[in-house]
Parts: sequence; structure tokens; C-alpha cells
Amino acid sequence: MRGVGSVLRSLPLRLRTLLERGRFESELDEELRSHVERQVEANVRAGMSPAQARRAALLSFGSLDAVKEECRESRGVHFFDTLGQDLRYALRSLKRNRGFTAAVVLTLGLGIGANTAIFSVVNGILLRPLPYGEGARIVSLRHDLKETNAAGIGFSPVEIEDLRRLSTSLDALSEYHSMNFTLLGGAEPLRVRTGVVSSNFFDMLGVGPLFGRAFRPDDEVHGAEPVLLLSHAWWLQAFGGDPAVVGRAFRMNDRPHLVIGVLPPLPAYPDENDVYMPSTACPFRARAAATGGRQARMLSAIGRLQRGVAPEAAHAELSSVMSALAGELGDAYLTPGTPSVAVEPTRELMVRTARPTFLILLATVAFVLMIACANVANLALARLLDRGREIALRAALGAGRRRLLRQLLTESLVLALAGGVVGLLFAVATQGAVVRFASRFTPRASDVGLDGTVLAFTLAISLIAGLLFGTLPGLPSAEQLARSASSDDGRLTGGPGRRRMRAGLVVAQVALSFTLVIGAALLLRSFAKLQAVHPGFEVENVLTVRLDLNFRAFLDAEGRTDVPRLATLHESLHERIAALPGVVAVSNAWTFPLNARFDNDGTVQLEGRPPGGPPVRAELIGTTPDYFRALGVPLKQGRFLTAADRGTESDAILVNERFAARELPEGALGRRLSYDGGKTWRTIVGVVGDMRQAGLAEEPKPSGYLPFSQFPGVSSSLIVRASLPPATLVAAVRKAVHDLDPDAAVSAPRTLAEIRHDSIASPRLTAQLLGLFAGLALAIAATGLSGVLAYSVSQRTREIGVRVALGAAPGDVLRLVMREGLSSLGLGLALGLVAALGLSRLVARLLFGVEPTDPLCFAGSLAVLVVAGTIACLVPARRAVAVEPVQALRTS
Amino acid sequence: MEKPGLELLQGTLDLLVLRILAAGPQHGWGIAQRLQVLSEDVLRVNQGSLYPALYRLEREGHIAAEWGSSDNNRRARFYRLTKSGRRQLDSETQTWSRMAAAVARVLETA
Repeated sequence: MRGVGSVLRSLPLRLRTLLERGRFESELDEELRSHVERQVEANVRAGMSPAQARRAALLSFGSLDAVKEECRESRGVHFFDTLGQDLRYALRSLKRNRGFTAAVVLTLGLGIGANTAIFSVVNGILLRPLPYGEGARIVSLRHDLKETNAAGIGFSPVEIEDLRRLSTSLDALSEYHSMNFTLLGGAEPLRVRTGVVSSNFFDMLGVGPLFGRAFRPDDEVHGAEPVLLLSHAWWLQAFGGDPAVVGRAFRMNDRPHLVIGVLPPLPAYPDENDVYMPSTACPFRARAAATGGRQARMLSAIGRLQRGVAPEAAHAELSSVMSALAGELGDAYLTPGTPSVAVEPTRELMVRTARPTFLILLATVAFVLMIACANVANLALARLLDRGREIALRAALGAGRRRLLRQLLTESLVLALAGGVVGLLFAVATQGAVVRFASRFTPRASDVGLDGTVLAFTLAISLIAGLLFGTLPGLPSAEQLARSASSDDGRLTGGPGRRRMRAGLVVAQVALSFTLVIGAALLLRSFAKLQAVHPGFEVENVLTVRLDLNFRAFLDAEGRTDVPRLATLHESLHERIAALPGVVAVSNAWTFPLNARFDNDGTVQLEGRPPGGPPVRAELIGTTPDYFRALGVPLKQGRFLTAADRGTESDAILVNERFAARELPEGALGRRLSYDGGKTWRTIVGVVGDMRQAGLAEEPKPSGYLPFSQFPGVSSSLIVRASLPPATLVAAVRKAVHDLDPDAAVSAPRTLAEIRHDSIASPRLTAQLLGLFAGLALAIAATGLSGVLAYSVSQRTREIGVRVALGAAPGDVLRLVMREGLSSLGLGLALGLVAALGLSRLVARLLFGVEPTDPLCFAGSLAVLVVAGTIACLVPARRAVAVEPVQALRTS
Repeated sequence: MEKPGLELLQGTLDLLVLRILAAGPQHGWGIAQRLQVLSEDVLRVNQGSLYPALYRLEREGHIAAEWGSSDNNRRARFYRLTKSGRRQLDSETQTWSRMAAAVARVLETA
């Protein structure tokens, strides 16, 4: 058989021939005729009479029509004719077998659709380059101190300048931090998440604005007018995509901010920011640069590598720059420890958590498609055997084996492409849900779409599937065909080879689906464990609300935060909310529970602990007195904070049990600790229960709780326990806030139960999705098993009839059939078990509290498969038992 | 008196056509004539069977065809050897020589 390559090479010529069929024919005619004419002339010259000459010429040429036909054949004219014939024949034959066609197209459609949907995510987030001009060179820097295990301590404005000046491995560097500000000028105060960057940030990424202009260097000089760039998503959400917003000014931090442009859709990285401003426009940043010096490490850094510089080389270079600075500056640098600057490709950071999940999902859907293909191959095989007489007839009428095979393959490809179309429709229909799902794992979800690569993938897997199930059944031998043509029912009898193949396909289906069911069981059990984790607080009946005050309104004469005024405002707010009907306890804190984004982990010193030991770490959170009551966290020792722990006199702090047990097992009450290197000391007055602050899967961190009234943030969370459904309180809480301070932004009202539910949404969705795919795989495999057995029964009807006539009991017949089915099932389960033991390690990263070889999951999955498999075998077996011997013998 | 013609071995027609075209472009009738002249009328080719071979060689890319005018300004389809045809000719020639030599050796020594 000629290679596919030569077929492809000759395709243009064939196509031209097809399209210019008329011209081809007339030229062929002209060429052959002129040949004959020349020969006639030659013959005349040789002395023949014209009539003789013509006869001799035609004689030596042979039949003109036969030559023409051969030329057409040589030129491949018939390639398309045959294709057309095959297609028409295939469509006719498929139309006659609606049930078969529907089953195949639907099975393949589901398999191909699932693959297309998952591949669109893998393509969007793992394969496509970042939608930045210079995506591959963009890196995120992380400042670590080696000896103290302090990771990600941030960069100060001075250090950003140092790195810009001294680094040779970066060709651009931008600072970054994100804050919530209140935007005034709309219907109500809006809390906007603001990315604060250097003016070169978007130029560095290689991103231009959709409308308006980007930041310029003169936007980032002292005294420059504050300007804003809007993110694409927020522009759509808040301004309905109106380009006229460019040029409008909004009040923010008591100053007008001019909107200068709108950004194109970008990954929500580093954060899901609504707007961006240059660093000089941020009041906190301006203050830190002026007052905090080298140690005001509040910034992240994002840079662009010089061409040809690897991240590892940049890591070495930047670390040595920072170490040299630390050496020169000594104490001014900070705490002990050698600085190190980790350099991580931004693209990698964006997809790190998504990769294992989506690769596992891709493998899962590939399994589903393989199972579907095996099923379709078996259906096709059964159909082929049924069509013995038809095929024999076509062979007898002169169709060669190649032609017959080609016809069968055409049919398979038509089916597979139809399945591909159904799969594509399925993928289009589920695209929205898929993107939402992906957005829980990666900021790159906006890059997910059905682009050319995805379409090519869909076409490719459709064709591969078609070739696979089209060629697996093969073509019966001439002898078999002859036998089927002369048999009464026109069927082919599957030889032992075909029977083995059918059994093999079923075994493979069982093995693959068993593997998938085990994988799904592991994830479901892991999710159940996660769901059952007690977070350390009571989630029922608690409302949380983000509260963002206008920071400029709470500055004292020297431009510092007016702590007493802020504290008083929160106290009055608590009084008002506590007076609302149904409210049990009101509190404020720097953050809300299960907020994975909050991270205030730091090093503290314990009084009387000699220096040089392992660093003592604690996460500090400011809370008002009723915080623990509102959350239902128990007091273990000492007392809670009270309203008296305010002003400058109180030095009270609470710690959690974990901190007490780890650092002060000899007794925590009365001990003192410092979080600012020994400048101030605070006395532990109570020990409270542990809370899972960062997420249900995260162990509680050693923590300390400070009086909120001494450190009141302008951005905080209100936490309200109620005896009513908490969602009913939102409007009243909002009103209470606006009555006190009309410029305060109230946002993100959620109950703690919702927060808890949302915090485990990605493992839940992953487990559900895997469960769905495993269920699908199991259903397809069970129908496959049942179908193959049913077919075998129908082929053995006469044999069964004879057995029954000779006295076989129904039990014997049942055993006969069941033995055949159960042996396939058993072999499949054994193979699946081996595969699952090897593969389950791959899902280990997605598991919580469950070993990849969890015996319960394996046993449970086995039970499910055995039950489903047995039922699948029983259906055809019962039909075999019902065989009437007389009728069975008569049908033959 | 005509000598009895030899039937062409399968596949040799392609080789001969390629060899003739190696000397320069030629139309179908010309190729047939050259074939007869060069083989001193030993090789008998049914003239019609030349064309399917030409069309096949064209599809395989070994030769290319275009219309031109021949002697006394008549339109004719001229065939010429392509680069791939030249390679094909070289390898086929070698194969043929080795084959012929081997057959001759067997006939002489057996």
C-alpha cells in the first residue's frame, strides 16, 4: 500500500484534475489523437495509403477508450469519484441503521466533547504563551532571608531602586502592591482593588491599552496628577464597556484621579485588580518611601529578564547584589539572615496549582475516549459480522479487498467526524462553565477558548478514533465471506481471533473504567475528609462584610493614621449594629476566617529566650473584643481581650493553643513577646482555640491576636453573629455603616457558611468532575460488556437450544453465559488494579487526608465494578436462559 | 521482415521513459519513436500503454508536463524530467544493472 505521504504529495494534482475535469478530458483526448495523427503521417511517409495508415496507427495504439480509462486511473481522477461513492454509500448505510449510528455518534461525541473541553483549558493555560508581548521573559522576584526561613519578606521602595540600578540580569523592573481604595463619584462608594505599579509596568509586559494611553514616566514623579488605568473586566462591570469613561475623573483618597485608559483582557495577575495607578498616586506607598526607609518592605517586584538570561542566573546575580548591600549596610538592612532573591517565571506561577488538576483531568477524558472507542469498535465489529452477505455480494461483484476496506473505513470516519461535531457542540455549550471552573485554579482562565489549536486537536482525535475503531475489526477473509454468503442468515461467524479481540476490548474497557472509578473514589473521599474538617470556629449564622473607609479622612495633623478617631468610629458602629434585632455579637478584624489571601506571618521574639535558637513565628491579627464570641472560638486559658484593652496603656495579646503548645509548653500566661525586634513588648493574657485561617486544608498557624482598637485598619472585615439568617442583615448593616460614614465602602457580604463552601469549591468541582467522568466510563464499559455478551448469546442460540433439548437446566445455561462474561470482568479488574496502583500516585497531590493506595477506596471501587459488571452480564444471561429449544432449533 | 518483439518486463517501461526524457523534453509520440529506434525495434510497446505510464509518472512527480508547440507548429504535450525523476532514474538504473548482472551470472554458471 502506498504511503500516506505520497497521497498527500499528489493531492494538489488530484484536486486540480477534479476541479478541471472538463479540461483534463479534452486535453487527454487532444494528446492521444495527436499521437495517432502523427503515427498516421509517419505511416503515410513510409508508403501506406491513408486508409491503411490510419488502420495501422489505431491498431498499434490499442483501444483509445481503454487507454483513456487507464490514464484517468493513473492520474487519480477516480480517487474522488470513489470517495464520493463511498461517502454516499456510507451515509445510506448509516441511515438504515439509525440505532447503531446514534449510539456511536453519541458515545464518541461525549468522549470527544469532554476531551475538547479539557484540552481547551490545557491549551489556554499551559500551552499558549502569555498574552504579553514579552511573556516568556517576565519573572516575579521573591525576597527571602535564608537562615531565618523568612520567605517573601517583600521589597522596600529603596531596594527596588537599588536593584534597578545594580542588576545586570534584568532589563526592566517594576514594583507592585495591591490595595483597596474607595472610589467616590458613583451612586455609592465603590471599593476598588487597586494595583500600584511603576510607570513602566505595562511597557515591560508588552501590553498596550485598549483605549486611551498607558502610563508615562511623568505620571510617576512627585506631585504628578494621579491617573488610573481600568482593567478590562472592571470596565465592563462598572461602566458597561463605555469608552467615554476615559477622561473622567473620580475622587479617591480625597484627590481627583483621572482615568487615562482601559486595559485589554489580561490574566488576573498578580491580583484581580479593578484599576491600576502609578506608585506616586498611592498614599501608603508615598508615606512608606518617605518614612519607612529600607525596611518598609511592602512591595512585590516583577521584572523582565535580559534576553538570553536564565532565571537561575538572575537568581544568583540578584542574590549577590542584595547580599553585598546587606553586608555594606549592616543593621540598616534588617534582621539576621542572608538575603536571597528567588526568580520565578510568572507564567509558571500562574499555572502551578492548575497544572496537576488539568493534566489529571486530561488523562481522565483520554481514558473515557479510549473506552468509548473500544465500545464503538465492538459495535462496529458486531455490525460487520451481521453484514457478511452484503460484503460477500460486493466482493463477488468485483470490489477488491482494498476497496472494501476503504468503504468500511469511510463509514468509520464519517461516524467519527459526526462524533467530532457533536463533541464540538458539547464543548461550545460547556465553555462558560469550563472557564469558570478554570478560573478557580489560575488567573489565566481568560486565555481559555476554542481556538485553531483546539479545533485541530478535535479534528485529530476524531480522525484517530475513526481510524482506530474502523481498522480494529478488520476485514473478514474471502473464505469467511463465502461461508456467510451461503449461510441462511447471511451472518459471518467471528473466528477465534475476532472473539479474542472482542473479549480483549471488553477487558480493556473494564480495566480503564476501574482505574477511573478508583481515581474518582480517592478524590471524593479526600473531599469528604476536607468537608468534615472542623475549622476551629462555628460557621453557622455568621455574616462577614468587607469595610473600607476613606483613608484620607482618618489622618491626624501630622498625616498619620488617627488611631483614636478610627477606634471610636468602629465602637459606635458596633453599638449600632448590636442594637439591630437578631444580632448576637459584632466584631471587626484585619481579615475574615478562611481568607487564603491573608498572610501576616512573621518572626517574633519571646522574652527570656536566648537568641540564636530556631525562629519563633506567629501570624498576627488585630481583633475587637467580641471576635472570638462572634466566631464561637473557645477560650482555653486566661481571658479574652476586653474593651479596656485600648489606648496606649494596654499591652495585652492573645495567642492560640498551637503557639502556646509549640513555644511555651511550660505555660503561656504572663509571658511577654515582641513582634518589632524588641522595641515594644506585649503580655500574653489568654490562650484561645486554634482556627484554620488560611483554608480547611491548612493546619492552623501559631497566631497572636492584638486589640483592633490599637491598630485599626481602614480596611477590615465586619463579623456579625446573628440569631436570624445572617443574609437578612446585610441591608441593615450597610445602612448602619453609611449613617455613620457615608464615604465608607461596604462590599462582599457573605455568610461564613458560604465562605467555607467557596473555600473548597475547587476540590469539590474536581472530585465531582472526575466522578462524572468515571460514571460515564463505567456506564459505557458496562454497556460494552453487556453488548458483547448479548452478541455472543445470539450467536450461540442454536448451541444453547441443543443443550436445553439435551436436558441442561436453566442454571447450567446461566452459568455458561456468566462464566464468559465474568472471566472478562475479572481479567479487566485485575489489570485495572495494577494500573491503578501505578497511576494513583499521580493524584497524590490533589488528595487531602487520604493515601493514594487507600484500601477503602480500592475495595469500594471494586464492589461498584463487580456489581455493575454482574448486572451487565445478567441481562444477556437471562435472555439465554429464556431460549426455547424448539424455536432455537427452528431458527437455524 | 519483422523480428518477433519482446514483451516489456513489468516496471521497465518507467525506467526507459525516464532514460529517454533524460536526454531532453519530448512529447508522447516522440518518446514512443525513440523507444523503438533505440531498441532497434526489439522492444515492442503497445503505443497506447505509454500514456498511463506517463500520467502515473507525472502524478508521482518524476516528470512534469506542459503544452508547447512542436515541429510545424502543432500543439503537443511535452514531458520533462524533474529533480525527483532524475534521482529515480539513477536508483532504478543501478537496480536494473545489478539485477541484469545477477541474472546473467546465474544463467552462465548454473
